[in-house]
Amino acid sequence: MDNKHEAHEPRIVAFLCRWCSYAGADLAGVSRLTYPPNVVPMRVNCSGRVDADMVLSALEKGADGVLIGGCHPGDCHYVSGNYKTRRRIALLKQALSEVGLDPRRVHLEWISASEGIKFQETMTSYTELIRELGPSPVRATKEAVHG
Amino acid sequence: MAKAKIGIYWAAACGGCDCALLEVDEQILDVVAAADILLWPCAADPKYKDLREYKNGEIDIVLFNGAIRTEENRELARLIREKTKYLVAFGSCAQSGGVIGLANQSSKEEIFSTVFGDTKHWPQQNSVADGYELELPEFLPKLTHLADVVEVDYVVPGCPPPKEVVSELFTALVDGNLPQTGTVFASSKNLCEECSREREQKKITQILRPHEHEPDPEKCLLDQGFMCMGPATRGGCLAVCPAANMPCTGCAGPTANVRDQGAAMLNTVASLIGTGEEGEDQLEAEDAILAQFDDIVGTFYRFGSATSIFKERYHEQNSPAR
Repeated sequence: MDNKHEAHEPRIVAFLCRWCSYAGADLAGVSRLTYPPNVVPMRVNCSGRVDADMVLSALEKGADGVLIGGCHPGDCHYVSGNYKTRRRIALLKQALSEVGLDPRRVHLEWISASEGIKFQETMTSYTELIRELGPSPVRATKEAVHG
Repeated sequence: MAKAKIGIYWAAACGGCDCALLEVDEQILDVVAAADILLWPCAADPKYKDLREYKNGEIDIVLFNGAIRTEENRELARLIREKTKYLVAFGSCAQSGGVIGLANQSSKEEIFSTVFGDTKHWPQQNSVADGYELELPEFLPKLTHLADVVEVDYVVPGCPPPKEVVSELFTALVDGNLPQTGTVFASSKNLCEECSREREQKKITQILRPHEHEPDPEKCLLDQGFMCMGPATRGGCLAVCPAANMPCTGCAGPTANVRDQGAAMLNTVASLIGTGEEGEDQLEAEDAILAQFDDIVGTFYRFGSATSIFKERYHEQNSPAR
């Protein structure tokens, strides 16, 4: 089991809001900060645009973890999108734990446009956390059914 | 014109769908006048042997209710698919696994212990009774819906399908005027469009359950804090449950163009929860409302769990036990 985990490279989808977290990713880039390549960033206009179905689809299609990056409370470009996504992710995490999935496979983080270093640190620590959790069991069952 | 040949089959079902066919009252006589019923285990006594003897595609249309729970269900779904031109997923269980899809949260052992008690009472797959050899169909590891096993042409949603929708299907059938395949009978809009309750666009400040609180009969149930699935659920039933002071449980499945009904509802509810103001100082109060949920999967995915990511029980170490 441990050997299998070592060989496994986590696949992480990150939905990043255009105004804060994606700008934070850009800052990390222009600052030449390195972070693991396991994270696939997806730019969305607002973290409030991240539909629960987008997160679940990512997990069903093979993501081991989904990270949602939004503006800090009070900073949302659309006033309250980040509060809506905060409540949504809370419900989603509870639903995942109800069926025996680790709720940490979905993670919400506030990263501002000026926090390139926080972006780097978050991506690094989240990749490590998902590596520790191992491959998502959702993907395993999908392969078992249709393989 | 030759009479149409139709069939009605039940798989893992409660029998409610078969009763729902008779809800159309005297219209059933038009159906019988226009069609011969070749297969209807609930009402007649056809043998599987007879079914096997039909030519492929000989039956015009089969209404299939119930989910796929046993090897027999799966085998018959495949056999019926061969013998019929059009296959209808009739009712929530055939459409999406239905309420019994939640059984996937328990193992076979847990289900059998609950139903049969001690292991000595568990049914044996092969046994002998009164000198006859009995063989029970295998209990599949997971319950699934019809479209997971064979191709489905039409969907008639509902638990059970409401008479308006059944009537629509029968009219199309009797007139020989079936719509293009892929059609989901029932409305393309959501249930709220048919509901007469007054909506005030309030915030959800508390989560109420219908067995603990009596809803106000005039006002929107969601406004009051009851988890009414109306916004995420296909209409067509004329909102009979809200009219009877019960929140919609979502039996008709998602509206057109929505993949995941529960996720759609979760989005809606998450947006509505709140104190009336958005702000950092409200987060604690919001968390207190969120903490009142105890069964999100059973509420938002009551009929659709078998077609979603929640179609089984996972076993991750760090996940809190239910």
